[in-house]
Amino acid sequence: MASTTSDAAVADTKPFDIVATYNELLRSDADLTMPIAAIEALVLLLTHSASSTISETLDLLEKSTAHLKRSIPNPIGLSAGTDLFQRYLITTLQRPGQLGPAGDFKAIRTHLLSNGRLFIRRAKESRDKIAAFGRGFIRDGSTILTNGGSRAVAALLQKAADEEGGPSAVRFRVIYVLSSTSPENKHPNEEPEGMETVRALRAKGVPVSTIPESAVAYSLGKADMVIVGAEGVVENGGIVSRMGTYQIGLLAKAIGKPFYVVAESHKFVRLYPLGQYDLPIEQQVVEFKSEEDLAEERKQQSSVDTNGDTPIKLPLCDSVDFTPPHLISALITDSGVLTPSAVSEELIKIWF
Amino acid sequence: MAEPSNAAPTAPVSPPASSTPEQAQPATENPPQTLPIRDSKPTQPTGDAPASTDGATDKPLTPAELKKKAKADKAARRIREKLEREGNNTTSSAAPPPSVGAQPRQPTTPKKDAAGTGSAQKGPRAPPPRRGSGPVAQNGSVLVEQKKKKDDKKVAVFGHLYGQQRRVTVGGATKEVHPAILALGMQLVDYTICGSSARCVATLLAFKRVIESYTTPMGTSLARHLTTHLSSQITYLSTCRPLSISQGNAIRALKLFIAGIDPSTPEASAKISLCEYIDSFIREKITVADQVIADSAAQKVQDGDVIVTFAGSSIVKHTLLLAHNQGKRFRVSIIDSRPLFEGKSLARDLAKSGLDVQYSLVHSITHAVKDATKVFLGAHAMTSNGGLYSRVGTALVAMSAKERASGVEIPVIVCCETIKFTDRVALDSIVVNEIADANELLPMDPPVSLLVPTPDAYAPPTPENKKGGNRTPAPEPPVIPHKTSSSPLADWHNTPNLQLLNIMYDVTPAEYVDMVITEMGSLPPSAVPIVHRMVTNL
Repeated sequence: MASTTSDAAVADTKPFDIVATYNELLRSDADLTMPIAAIEALVLLLTHSASSTISETLDLLEKSTAHLKRSIPNPIGLSAGTDLFQRYLITTLQRPGQLGPAGDFKAIRTHLLSNGRLFIRRAKESRDKIAAFGRGFIRDGSTILTNGGSRAVAALLQKAADEEGGPSAVRFRVIYVLSSTSPENKHPNEEPEGMETVRALRAKGVPVSTIPESAVAYSLGKADMVIVGAEGVVENGGIVSRMGTYQIGLLAKAIGKPFYVVAESHKFVRLYPLGQYDLPIEQQVVEFKSEEDLAEERKQQSSVDTNGDTPIKLPLCDSVDFTPPHLISALITDSGVLTPSAVSEELIKIWF
Repeated sequence: MAEPSNAAPTAPVSPPASSTPEQAQPATENPPQTLPIRDSKPTQPTGDAPASTDGATDKPLTPAELKKKAKADKAARRIREKLEREGNNTTSSAAPPPSVGAQPRQPTTPKKDAAGTGSAQKGPRAPPPRRGSGPVAQNGSVLVEQKKKKDDKKVAVFGHLYGQQRRVTVGGATKEVHPAILALGMQLVDYTICGSSARCVATLLAFKRVIESYTTPMGTSLARHLTTHLSSQITYLSTCRPLSISQGNAIRALKLFIAGIDPSTPEASAKISLCEYIDSFIREKITVADQVIADSAAQKVQDGDVIVTFAGSSIVKHTLLLAHNQGKRFRVSIIDSRPLFEGKSLARDLAKSGLDVQYSLVHSITHAVKDATKVFLGAHAMTSNGGLYSRVGTALVAMSAKERASGVEIPVIVCCETIKFTDRVALDSIVVNEIADANELLPMDPPVSLLVPTPDAYAPPTPENKKGGNRTPAPEPPVIPHKTSSSPLADWHNTPNLQLLNIMYDVTPAEYVDMVITEMGSLPPSAVPIVHRMVTNL
């Protein structure tokens, strides 16, 4: 909560900027997930706002949420957090008693703020819980294929590696799929996502092999299971995740290897995509261009180079895809190991 | 719900019981004098009617015998009533001819019969399923032969569904049945009120009128007696058409509410609170639910979509109209089927509102699916294993969409209120289904509606309708009366080796459904039991 106080000092002087706060929170704490950052930003917003009625608070919250969602290129992850917070707020306000609509608004507010913080703390602990649940999946001698930079996966693998610190540790191997997207990357020297986890695992004595995405089908025969992270878990039990997860899922299904997803339960989103192109974000992955279009683009680029106000587009390396539930064997979450169809039950429990 | 077996409340049971013997009996050419004899098989009291009444007069009567006698008298009366009705049917060809019926889902009749007659109940049930396939017995008895002939007209696999014939007139209804219920029953029979939600709403509204005109008899309390009073109404309704899942759920909720009324509540205020409960039930479970569903389903409609829908679901209509009003540009392809042609009024309404509509019949499904991007379906019910129980043909549409040759799957979206969820499980379309009058399959003169004649509710299957795939912004061609006799199947009752099957529903397995949109949110079909449990526990 150190950042809270420093932020408070800053925000006293100028109007509270939720987008900046959100980005700042994400940058300052590498362990923070998007939904939690969103909730924390909203809690901060409430601390700063001078709202004195319930409807004012709800209105403010709604506006800021909408603003935040608009300003972030991929709001799927964060919308899980904002939805959850809003839901929590409404149920708290609807409850009869001191904290209900009849109660003292100041009491309601302090209650909300303290509970919001409690929620954030719990959410941060959920990764350890997941690691405890998922640890049993990793057995001696197994080879695990994973991808992306999921912190939950990293936590799980590291937990398995240094169980009791040494002799009792599981002996397993990891095939790490490193993304090779974005050939026009501005920083060609930037190491691919996940390299940090690879180094940490190697330091713990886990043999890690890194492969490009094109080698997944080739390498899958050597793997016993696939474990991936997720940006959001949607209502039908599918996941929204780093581009390339879907194809790994398809390949794992085709080859017959179990495909596990590791995700915190606050990543459950009230979203029901029907397919890859039904996500509520604008992605430019498949773009058809002729030479004429390219020339036009170059011309435009030179003229509007300085103008950064064009609608935000998701760069290819940050784009996501949707893995449908029938490809997923199980979801390892902090509320237990779930089948994809149990996700909707969990979501319904949260929402009703 | 349990029917006490004393004399007074048995009256409501009489309609179904009286029509049970008719089950095997296709309308008109049946010599009525054979009936009582055939009746002897179904239930003991019915069969023994003349004998036991005669014999009973000179014996001293034990209470059990008294009961038996009362029953026998009633049975005799039923036969008389039935014969009268038979006579009506044979003379008045205008009424839709009664023939194969559908199985009632009312629990009272079987329970009562079982209690009253013990094992005698088994008699009529055992043989039917196989009889269709068996060889025709060559014994000289006219009776047996006739019976065989009737049974031949039942499709063997669905033999268990030919339980009861649909009622076609209000004749024979007991005095307890409220006029509103009588009217509703007839509307249900001729499909004036068709569709799960519409039937549910109409039933609840009729119950409201029943409750309004209800007075608690002396010596009993409203909470206790009203339930039995309603039961007789329900029994009547179920002889008109088997109750839908939504009706059943609504009735269950209503009875639960009645049972919860404090007996000390004054009758007037209890009735007011009941009416308010019904109103809020309709509002909550259907009216508002429909709005919520249409709202979230319309979000799934995108510019450039080609939306395939089957038959005429009111909720799909709301959805499409809402999406259209939101300024989305999409095409709709309506797949329809005989004999109800529910899609016609949908096509007309959508086209009137300015949507681009293509109307075709179900046999051209492969063409309709070719350029489709989404399938929206209505539901009669959703079963606990995620199956979609809906108008027959739905499964065909859903499966065609999912297994398109090009390999690109089209999402199949079901719009369904949670009132239509059931805890039953449906593995196939055979065990639970409804069989409608097979004569509906024959091209024939428009049946004379018993109430207001509405052409869309029961459109005549004229040959003009077969122009599948044509755009018909005004899908109602003028009804051209044509000769009934021209149908090659017109004489199917007397044609040997010919069976007609008019099944009403089918089950789409859960794996062909991508998404169920309910007022509680969007769910995968696997979440149906969870939501059902939650809704019923509330």
